[in-house]
Amino acid sequence: MYGATDYDAIKKAAGDMPVYGHWKSFTTENGLPADKAYCVRIDGDRVLVGTNHGLAVYEDGKWTNYTTKDGLGHNGVLAIDVSQLTGDVWLGTLGGLTRWSGGSFYTFTQLNSGMPNDVIYSVICDGKDVWVATGGGAGHYDTYKDQWEIYMERNAPMHEPWTYGVCAGDGKIWIAAWGGGVIEYNTKTKKFRDYTDPDEQMELDVFPDDGVVHDITTGVSYADGILWVATYFGVNRYDGVHWKTYFDKDSGLLSNFNNFNRAVGPVVYFCTDKGLSTFNGKTWISYQRNENNTGGKVLITNGPKLTDRVKTTSYNVHTSLSHNFVLGVDANEKEIWIATSHGVSRGERIK
Amino acid sequence: MMKKKKIIWVVVVLVVAGLLFIPFHRFAREHVNYMTATTDHPLKCTSCHLHMADRGPVYDLVNKTYISPYNLAVSPDGSRLYVVGQEANVLLVVDVADGKVIDKIPVGKRPHTVVVTQDGKNAYVSNQWDDNVYHIDLTTLRITDTLPTGNGPAGMVLSKDGKYLYVVDSYSNEVSIFDLITGQEKRRLLAGVNPTGAAISPSGKWIYVTSRRVLPRPYRQPLSTEVTVIDAVHQRVKERKKIRDAYLMENAAFTPQGDLALITLTRPKNLIPSIQVEEGFMMTHGFGVLLPDGRIIQLLTDEPNAYYSNPFDVVISRDGKKAFISSAAVDMIQVIDLDSVRALIARSTPEELQLYANHRGISNRYVIRRIPVGSDPQGMIISPDGKYLYVTEKLDDKVAIINVNTLLKEGQIDLGGPRKITMARKGRRIFNHAGGTFQNQYSCYTCHPDANEDGLIYNMAGVGMGRNVTNTMSLYNIGKTRPYKWNGHNQSVYKQDGYRFSTYLTRTEPFNYDDLDALVAYIITGIHNPPNLRYNPDGELTAAQKRGEKIFFRTHTKDGREIPLKDRCYTCHPPPYFTNRQLEDVGTLAETDDSIPFDTPDLADLFLGAPYMHDGRAATLEEIWTKYGSEDRHGIVSDMTKDELNDMVEFLKSIRDPRYYTRDYSEEYKPLLEHIKIYDPPIVEHKKQH
Repeated sequence: MYGATDYDAIKKAAGDMPVYGHWKSFTTENGLPADKAYCVRIDGDRVLVGTNHGLAVYEDGKWTNYTTKDGLGHNGVLAIDVSQLTGDVWLGTLGGLTRWSGGSFYTFTQLNSGMPNDVIYSVICDGKDVWVATGGGAGHYDTYKDQWEIYMERNAPMHEPWTYGVCAGDGKIWIAAWGGGVIEYNTKTKKFRDYTDPDEQMELDVFPDDGVVHDITTGVSYADGILWVATYFGVNRYDGVHWKTYFDKDSGLLSNFNNFNRAVGPVVYFCTDKGLSTFNGKTWISYQRNENNTGGKVLITNGPKLTDRVKTTSYNVHTSLSHNFVLGVDANEKEIWIATSHGVSRGERIK
Repeated sequence: MMKKKKIIWVVVVLVVAGLLFIPFHRFAREHVNYMTATTDHPLKCTSCHLHMADRGPVYDLVNKTYISPYNLAVSPDGSRLYVVGQEANVLLVVDVADGKVIDKIPVGKRPHTVVVTQDGKNAYVSNQWDDNVYHIDLTTLRITDTLPTGNGPAGMVLSKDGKYLYVVDSYSNEVSIFDLITGQEKRRLLAGVNPTGAAISPSGKWIYVTSRRVLPRPYRQPLSTEVTVIDAVHQRVKERKKIRDAYLMENAAFTPQGDLALITLTRPKNLIPSIQVEEGFMMTHGFGVLLPDGRIIQLLTDEPNAYYSNPFDVVISRDGKKAFISSAAVDMIQVIDLDSVRALIARSTPEELQLYANHRGISNRYVIRRIPVGSDPQGMIISPDGKYLYVTEKLDDKVAIINVNTLLKEGQIDLGGPRKITMARKGRRIFNHAGGTFQNQYSCYTCHPDANEDGLIYNMAGVGMGRNVTNTMSLYNIGKTRPYKWNGHNQSVYKQDGYRFSTYLTRTEPFNYDDLDALVAYIITGIHNPPNLRYNPDGELTAAQKRGEKIFFRTHTKDGREIPLKDRCYTCHPPPYFTNRQLEDVGTLAETDDSIPFDTPDLADLFLGAPYMHDGRAATLEEIWTKYGSEDRHGIVSDMTKDELNDMVEFLKSIRDPRYYTRDYSEEYKPLLEHIKIYDPPIVEHKKQH
């Protein structure tokens, strides 16, 4: 255990992993429309936060909030993505998919469009295409052709149509399907394949690193050629050939209960019920708030898995997350933002 | 003997002719009376039987291909004009000094706009019905490249550095941005609904894109239409300006100083009954002023008892002191004194400025001249030296030359179109001109832009105020789909556009019979649909559309129950026009509707946009069933899953005008369709079966 906020020591221990500190938290007291935040996305000089009382935008040190009165499909905003092509913001809500473009909102619902279901857990933009993971299947909207396609258990290898996450990269789409593991869709061949838990065991992982840790998946994210999978029972790394499985008991992962994950470059961020874990395949760094004060811990594990020689080192810091139940995350070269069940936090990247 | 025989023959012929003449004349009279819904329309067989052929040798014999100049550009040295011939599919190169056409470059279908690069060496022409832009080398006058665009490329603008071309995709509601170095489309941005015009600010930072159709809104609520503001530096949509209570915003222009941007607009009062036409309050016309501080001011160019309808283009003089607006439906160029506009805005309170949007008594404060020009003035351009304004006279095949200083029309360039004015061409002039409406308030074209529909819902106030509100119907394929009106009461276009039309719509004298003949000839023969390139570019259906087609032609529910013939999609909507022309009740009557069945609409123009149903209450095709058709009266849909409904909608969007089809539905679905009765409208009243 190291003394409070010794960032030089933390940086030294972290190697090439980014380290975040000097956390600042925001709640309704600072202008957020609600304390419960589901998702966060950094968009240039502004930050977009989805809460259960609308969309909050942080820009120039101020929060501006948008609700259904402004045209949002629903005040429960569960997912956000920004189209790199157009700059349009796509918002997955509990009442449809809202496109926020040039200051105007337009909402696709299951009644007014070909969208599969109004409960949108995840949304991503892949060039001109928008993909959503919904309670009624995955949906693909081709903005050029104005055409929706729905993928569910009848036309895709899903166990049921409930989908939780979606990501894109290198000509493929991956869908985190409840009970169906990970569904991979090749955008060129338009063929599916699925990755399910090989041991088919709900409560335990019989053979290590044999595939997806569990058929109930909660998030997928792809970057730098690696697919990262989040579940309520551990997480996975897949390089296209080999699967690796990580649990809280055998790695630096804070908890097996993972709500969401996001990969940015070589680093993946896992949103758990016990804090935030980050990992680049070699080193784990986790952030956890203390129970009795606003300070917290930075936990560093210099190895993918715990062994007799690889241990976790804990560092105390003065500032930490606003809450350990983390639901969303986004990061860039300068900062990290997390959405939690009680507030939003911004961490500064320690250089 | 021979003489006697001749006399007998003559007598026989006369007697036979006399005997035949009486019943024939009687039949002809009944026929014409029925078709025109009058008793005194002249018995002129050629009116219909020669001029109503919409294709084939007779059509070719009586019709001509006109140039129909639409938009134009000028070379940087002012020596040449480049004129888009919309109907002839050409780009005309005009020598300004000689006033002669020196070259005709064939371009794509339905060219819309031409822009010329700053060095004068290259031109780009948008081909609205080919979904591409031609790059033309002006030194060789040859097409050197084709840039595929979104659907319906229309207005265009070059970035200030000349590196990017912004193309407004009018049917797919987008703006395509091309990198002119690579020739590749870099990105597409979402625009308003049916965008057409584009203008760039003097700084090059902002591009304004105007739209014609209104934005989606709650049913029967006030309308607004979008001006899309693009940040040309970051190539992102910065703002969507909602222009309240206005639509048909065809074009925009910035002053050289950048202190004002002007847009053309029309203000429809579609939520009030059409009786208001006589009160002078149904359609007003003018322009919007968009200020850098975000304010939007609307000013009318109309007067208390005179309207200047269908403003199309707007250009501004080099000194920023005058704006010119082509008022297409009254054959006028209106000249706006911009200093007066600036002063009016500066000294008026916000409340006063809001009032001016409906004020027809103040246009004399800023409209300083109205210059008569030829038929249907459209695109305009000012010469590089700022001395002349060139205006296309679309339905005259000419370009007017106006002196910017004297404000006089000094000449005309004849583009060499056919000399003969055909019946359909005359009808098109009537269609586009507001002369048949009370105080020139609007033309047929106003509610039927491009002969389609304007997307608005009107209360024609025939029987009762506020009752029987109706969604404007497209005129595409109208010759093949009678009867007309949502109630099917009009058996012909003659009746539709005859004296009843004047009673409910134009609120003035009906068209005289010669004009009516011409108008009907145009409506029946001269209107052509755009191809459905977005949803069905080549006639090959996508996998989803094929699945949807199977659903459309299905005879059994998913659990094997036979669907009664009356409840099958194809029964009421059989190809090729996807209407059986019969009246049906599909459970869509509103409380404010009379208890009547509705004329089954054809489906060939669904792809062009919302709203749908007789009163326009469905904002999307999906809503026809998800919100308003769940009782299985408008087809059997309750056994369908969401993805199956999607497939059917995809098929509906794929439907095209039959003249673009290569498929023979009647052969493909022969066993199904041979039992379907398509209503064959009677030609005289006593044979009426309907």
